[in-house]
Formats: sequence, C-alpha cells, structure tokens
Amino acid sequence: MEQNKFHAIGRIARRKDGIAKVTGREVYSSDVTLPHLLFARVLRSPIPHARIKSINTREAEKMGAVCITSEDTPDIKYNERQVSIPEKTYRDRVVLPDKVRHVGEGFAAVAAKTESLAEKAMRSIEVEYEKLPAIFDPYEAMRSGSPQLYDEICLGDTKLPIESNIACHREVGEGDVEHGFKEADLVVEKEFRTGRVYHAQMETKSVVCRPEPDGGISVWPTTQSIHNTRQLLGRIFSISLNKLNVHRVPIGGSFGSSIQMNTCIPICVALALKAQKPVKLVLSREEDMYDHCKYPVIIQLKYGVKKDGTITAGELKTIVDIGGHNIQAYPLLGCMAGWFVSLYRMPHLQFDGTAVYTNKAPGCAMQGYGNPQVSFAVESMIDIIAEELGMDPIALRLKNYVGLGETFWGQGPTVRSVIRSCGVEEMLLKGKDMIEWDQRVSPDKKTGRYRKGVGVARGFHTSGTGAPTPGEVIDYSTAMVKVNEDGSADFSTALMCHGGGTLEAGAKIVAEELGIPIDKVGISPADTRSTGYDVCTHATRGIYCGGASIQRAAKEAKAKLLKFASRLLDVNPEALKIQPREESDQGHIFLPGSLEKHIPVGEVAKMAQYKGWGTAIGVASHRQVNCPPCFVTNFIEVEVDTYTGEIKTTRAVAAVDCGTPINPDLAAGQLEGGLCRGIGLALLESTDYDPETGRLTCGGTFIDYKFYTPVDMPPVDKVKTFFADTYESSGPFGAKGVGEAANNATAAAVVNAIYNAIGIRFAEAPVTPERVLKALQNQPDVEK
Amino acid sequence: MMTYSIETNVNGRPRAAEVTARDTLLDVLRDHWDVFEVKNGCEQGDCGVCTVILSGKAVNACLTLAVQANGKDVVTAKGIGSPKEPHLLQTKFVEHGAIQCGFCTPGMLTSAKVLLDQNPKANRQEIREAIAGNLCRCTGYKKIVDAIEAAAAKPES
Ligand code: FES
Ligand code: FES
Repeated sequence: MEQNKFHAIGRIARRKDGIAKVTGREVYSSDVTLPHLLFARVLRSPIPHARIKSINTREAEKMGAVCITSEDTPDIKYNERQVSIPEKTYRDRVVLPDKVRHVGEGFAAVAAKTESLAEKAMRSIEVEYEKLPAIFDPYEAMRSGSPQLYDEICLGDTKLPIESNIACHREVGEGDVEHGFKEADLVVEKEFRTGRVYHAQMETKSVVCRPEPDGGISVWPTTQSIHNTRQLLGRIFSISLNKLNVHRVPIGGSFGSSIQMNTCIPICVALALKAQKPVKLVLSREEDMYDHCKYPVIIQLKYGVKKDGTITAGELKTIVDIGGHNIQAYPLLGCMAGWFVSLYRMPHLQFDGTAVYTNKAPGCAMQGYGNPQVSFAVESMIDIIAEELGMDPIALRLKNYVGLGETFWGQGPTVRSVIRSCGVEEMLLKGKDMIEWDQRVSPDKKTGRYRKGVGVARGFHTSGTGAPTPGEVIDYSTAMVKVNEDGSADFSTALMCHGGGTLEAGAKIVAEELGIPIDKVGISPADTRSTGYDVCTHATRGIYCGGASIQRAAKEAKAKLLKFASRLLDVNPEALKIQPREESDQGHIFLPGSLEKHIPVGEVAKMAQYKGWGTAIGVASHRQVNCPPCFVTNFIEVEVDTYTGEIKTTRAVAAVDCGTPINPDLAAGQLEGGLCRGIGLALLESTDYDPETGRLTCGGTFIDYKFYTPVDMPPVDKVKTFFADTYESSGPFGAKGVGEAANNATAAAVVNAIYNAIGIRFAEAPVTPERVLKALQNQPDVEK
Repeated sequence: MMTYSIETNVNGRPRAAEVTARDTLLDVLRDHWDVFEVKNGCEQGDCGVCTVILSGKAVNACLTLAVQANGKDVVTAKGIGSPKEPHLLQTKFVEHGAIQCGFCTPGMLTSAKVLLDQNPKANRQEIREAIAGNLCRCTGYKKIVDAIEAAAAKPES
C-alpha cells in the first residue's frame, strides 16, 4: 500500500510548539500584554432572571474607570456561534442586555488602569433589579403559564416568536416506526439522562483588544475561529473587516467552548473603543463556570428487534436543557439525530428533539456535540437488548452497525455520505482479546465487597461537516504553502491547534507532499488579515478538512517547484520526483534512474528567484464533500465498592479508526484525554443549580467542581490504545479525524461495565457513589 | 493602603516590588514582573497551574502572599531550562507527548522538578502523588507520568 512509503506522515516527531511550551515561552491570550493596557471587569447578575431597571456608574467613573452598559453597545442581536448559514442561526443576545437570564450573565463592564481598581470600580456600580420569576426545569419551562425567558428572538434577520420557552424543535423520520415496532419480537424502551458537565479548560476565556488609529481594532482572543470572530465583530460594531484583525493565539484548552465568539470579546471591544486604549479581559474561574457547559440531555429511547438481533425500528426523543441562551441548539438536534441514525441500521426510524430555555448558564458544544450523550443511551440500550435476547453484546453490535458502503448522516439529515473506510470489526475483535472479554462472567456470579465488571461501547464522530452538497453548516478551509530559498517551507492557515496536534499534522502533510524533512516546515503565525477563511477548528475537521486544503496548497507549490526544476535540469516536470536527503537535510529533486539529473529544493527556489521566475507558492481554498466517520471502541473495566458506592476504572482499551494516524503519539494522547473526560461524564461531573438562588451548587470553584486528578485517574497505568488499520482515500494521505471521537463511547462503556459488576443498570450520569448506594439498597439480592 | 517592599530572585534575576499585604505572589509575578509562564487557572489553590519553586519547595503562587516570598528564590518553568539548554524533564515532556494545550505544563514541570530533586528515583505512584495538585484537562495524565518517569533515575535492579 501507498501508505508505507511515507517519510513524514505517521512519524513520531517532536512537536514544534513543544520547546516553547515546556520552557514557559508560549504566550496565551491571558498573557498578551501591551503598553498602556487597561484591565476590564464585567458586572454580572447575582440573580437568575431580572430586568435591569437602572444602573448608576457615577462612582466608578469618578475613580477614572471607563464604563459601559446596554446604552453604550450596539443593539444588534447575535448568536456567538457562526458555523451555520444565517437562515439557520438563532440570534437571541446582545453585547450587554437590559434583561439577564441566568446568574453570571454580564450587563455592564468597566476598564481601569489596574485590575484591583477595575474590581473596585465594578463593585461601586449601583443597580436596581426588577426580579422576575425564574425556571430551572425544562419540563416546567414548557408548561403553559411558566415564566418566559423570551417573547421573540431572531432567526437570521427574521423575527421569531418564542412560545413555552421552546428554543427550537426538530423532527426527522424515515419509514414507519409503528410498523417497525410491530414487526419486532422485542420492544425495549428506557429514559437516559446526562449531566451538565463544565468544559473546565484550564485557561479561562480571555481577550485583549487594541483600537487602531484607522478606526479599526486588533484582537487577541481565546477562540477556535479567528475568521468567525472577525466577521461577527464586524457585524456588531459596523467595522469594515479590513480594519478588524483577529490574531490566532495559542489556547489553553477549549473542548468546544470557544467555537463561538466568546461573549467577553465584544464586551472588551466595546470598552476599548470607548476608552480608545487597549483593554484586557480575563474571566475568573467562577465567571467561566457561569459562561458555558455541555448540553445536558434527557433521552427517551425505544428499539424494536427481532429474535436474531436484527433491529426493526428505533425512536429517540430528547429534551435538551440549553440554559439562558441558544448557542445553536438547532444544528445540535440535527447532529443528535445523525449520531442516533448512524450507529445502527434501522429500516424505520424517528427522531424528535426539543431545546428548552431555562435560567441557567448556556449549554454549548463540548467534545462530541451531543454524541457522547446519544451514545450513552444507544450503547446502554444495545447491552440491554443483548441481555434480553441472550446474545453476546459484541455479536449484537457486529450484526447491526452501520459500516462500509452504507450511508450515514453523521452531521444531521442534510449531511449524508457513504462510508468508505471502516475499522469497526477490527476494533471490536482486537479489543475483545486485549481486555480478555472471554473471562467476563455475569454479575450474579460475583460476591464480596469489591466487584469488577467489564463493559464495551462503540461510537464515532464525523471528520468535519462536509457533504456532497453544501448544507446548513459552513465547512471549508484555506491554506497557503511556499517554498523558501534554502529548501525549507512555510505554511499558513487559520486552523487552530487545541493541543491535539492539528498544526503538527499540517506540517507533516507539507513535508510529505513537498518531499522535505518535517523540521524544514514552519508554521506561520496567523491572523485574519493574512489568511483566507477557515470556518473553525471544530467538528473533528482539523486534519481531514484543514489538512486537505494544506495538501492541495502544497501540491500547487510543488507543481511550480518541479516546473522550475524541469527548466534547470532540462527534463519534463512530470518525470521528476522529490525526496528528503539526510546528508543535505533538505529535499532533492531528481529524475529517477539518472545520476546527473538532480538538484536540491533550495537550489531550485534560489535559482527561480535569481532568474525572476517567482516563488513556488500554492494557495487552496477547499471544501471536503464528505465527512467520514472516525469510529471508536472503548473497553473498560470498573471496580465497584459495594460498601461506599465508589467506582474506580481499573483497566481500559481505547481504539480508534482514524484512517492513517498522522501523529500517532499525539493521537494516542487524544484517546487517553478523551477517555479521562468520558469517565468524568459517566461518574463524576455535573454543574448543579440551587433552585432557590439559581446559583451553582459548586460555587463556581474547582474545590467543589471535581474532575480527575493524576491520583484518582486509575487507568493512568492501565490504559492501552490502538489504531485500526484503515485508509480513507478522500482524506489527506488516508487520514480521518480523531478529536471528539475519543470520548464518545466512554460513558456508555463505563455504565455497561458497572452493570456487569453489580447487575444494576444506571441510566443517569454521573453515577455518583450516592446513586450507587441508593440503587444497591433497592437491590437486596446484591449481597455484600 | 499600606505597602511593603519585597525583593526576590526570580530565575536568578533580582526583582523588587511594592506590594500590599493582600497581594499574592501570583499577582506580583504576573502583574508587576510580567512572569507570564506562571499561569492563573483559579486563584484558589485548586488547579496547580501557578505552581512555582519557592526556596526549593513547590507552592501555589496564588496561595502564597507576596510578602512571604521576600528574600527568597523563585524558580519557574523558564528557570528550569531554556530552549537552548532544556532540562531533561522538559525534553522528556516533549518526547513523550506530555503536552497538549500546554497550559498546565509550567506548573506540572515545577512540581516534577521538586519531586526529582528530592527523590531522584521516584516511581509512578510517587510521581502521581507529587503532581496530585496539578490538574490537566487535556491529557488524561498518562503521558505526563510517563515523561516524569523517563526523566527519573532508573531504580537499581
Ligand atoms: S491558580 Fe493557583 S492553584 Fe489554580
Ligand atoms: S495539556 Fe492542556 S491542561 Fe494539560
């Protein structure tokens, strides 16, 4: 196979940003500093639902602070998430509102010479609130007569009335489910719930802005999309895009929390424009916890199956509690339908999703965009069905999974394509051996205080959102590659690395395509002025979509390079090849079979410069027309302490089918990180609200919002990862994505393992010790 | 408000500042001295990204009062090694893929450095305990423990 010939792809190389990161040289948004910088603080609501009757900023101004309220900011409705076409974008917020809809929502802001002065100025602001009744439960919110968060919002530019706090609703169906259920020998039905997990990216959201003399502004934000940030700022503040420059800054973790233009960004811009000085705004941990969370879901799932395990019909109904703002729950619901439909074949299917406003911090994408939640339900249910039918859970999965040659619609009903690479079977069978599945015994054979169990779950994520025809979601990337006069090369793109190695992969793609060493490829700094549009580094699209544009740009640069070389060597350019040569530490262009006809890449670039032929440069703006699934499989062993209800994960096997792994070491790291967060979703994490005060019960701190530390993350020593051996012909050098897939199967594998340990099926995550103990009490046959 | 003069040595360089009794070492490092490799993740002692070495001990800069650092040496990730001459720990972090976003890395490294200074042959369990106060949301910790283990002296077998 072609993939064996790679010199750069799949090589383990020291990541280019590594030395900067370990020696403290990496500059994140929160580290950006400028002369005459002012520091900003945002005044946030202590109550969950209120109209701001009056704000008095006189004292703050006396202290020398610059203050802004809703009166100083444009009354333009926006949705911070900009990856959908405008007609499908629900706009419900403004820069600073006069009505707050959750505790922690900002409605005024100040900037001053020091942080402590800004804090003092902010505290001096007098506010009169008109308290409104608040609502925290999505079912109550939908009841008639419940307090309403909105009367109307905008869908694109059109006014859209909101009723019963329903932010949006989506139904998708195929075939006739009722008929499908009638055909079944067994119909199973169950409700599942997942928690309101906080992203807990280690860097809180931050931004620095500088007004420019031409009336424009420069921005250094935490973001996954510099171009969408620029476009949205341009729309809100009516600034021409050529005067708005958004810089790509390394990000201290994101997990989806900065797909949107973070709300602190326009606040900081408004302050900087008013002050006419640079302003920095860094959220505190508490503010960050009130800013975003994973979408919590309630799922009612129903399957019909034949005795032999064939699924005849499936129905998934979901209620998503999106909190106080709609950060694009409409595509979320479409994707949830897609995740459901693309896991297992169903001749008849129905999806019904409703997103509901409540007075809590808004939900947004977090690693998987509804996928870990749907997989939690579906993969739990597959185990339930297997038990009812007396089938092996792996056999049942192998019988029904959507695989090679079949159509899947990962990113929702408008994004359908055919699967051309699939490692599902390989991962299930190899993982089964690695975890010693055959040693697994049923829960009734287990005794004693500590009981172990092994569970499996599958999952997938799409590599980007591309489809044969452009749909609701925008998806393309732009890249530029140029060959330098010493044989090195640079590439620039607005893609973002969240830490997983997206830009590393880009460098390897350039090295491979140009036939030069990885070391000789430079990653250019990026801002919106110097790069073409890239939608966003989200949806596991970095390598598959972004990488494809980089590969195309490199091919174009290479074609020019070979044309120059062909003139110098006097041969046909098509006959030439490039390969890296160790002795000269650069690529060599040669005519295979000839000893004389060869020349170093740098020589060609230099000669082309002397002779005035130009630079070997390539630019590509490219949309992938597919979004192949990167499949994952997790096998997890847990140990349940039946005295305390505590659950430890003791062993794990995490496998991914990402096509060609471009950075195998970094991809394995993503699997480990995803596993850790997936276990957190299953056992530990949720932000809960006190319905009396509307505040987080964890107080917005890491003391009471726990996620795994190095000590209590048990699979640190007992986690094995592997890659399925597949090749995705539509991806750069056979690659698909990894990112989000890494955690999509985990929570389900954990609850399946718990069932195997103690025979209790948990359908609500997180499975906390309290829930375990309570369930054990109701199950007296689990003797201790 | 009453202020105090403090003098410290940050990575071998003398530094001075006028601070209040309430200012933390983290405030002074980042706001007065632009020592930005010491990160701020919570300001409450819960995440460890602000870990520095204060006279040989790993401390959370956000829980240390600036006045407590008076007359002491502070070492940060920048002081452990430089791009030209990285410390073995730093090299191993890069080689083992122990960094993703890198925001926890300076704190992890300072905790690890203190551990290996005191216990050069630390085993995996000891490593995990030494970095117990350093949260990382990206990696799942395995590669971080691998990297520190690779930098530790091998136990005699
Ligand atoms: S910032 Fe000091 S422990 Fe989090
Ligand atoms: S590498 Fe991102 S928090 Fe540790």
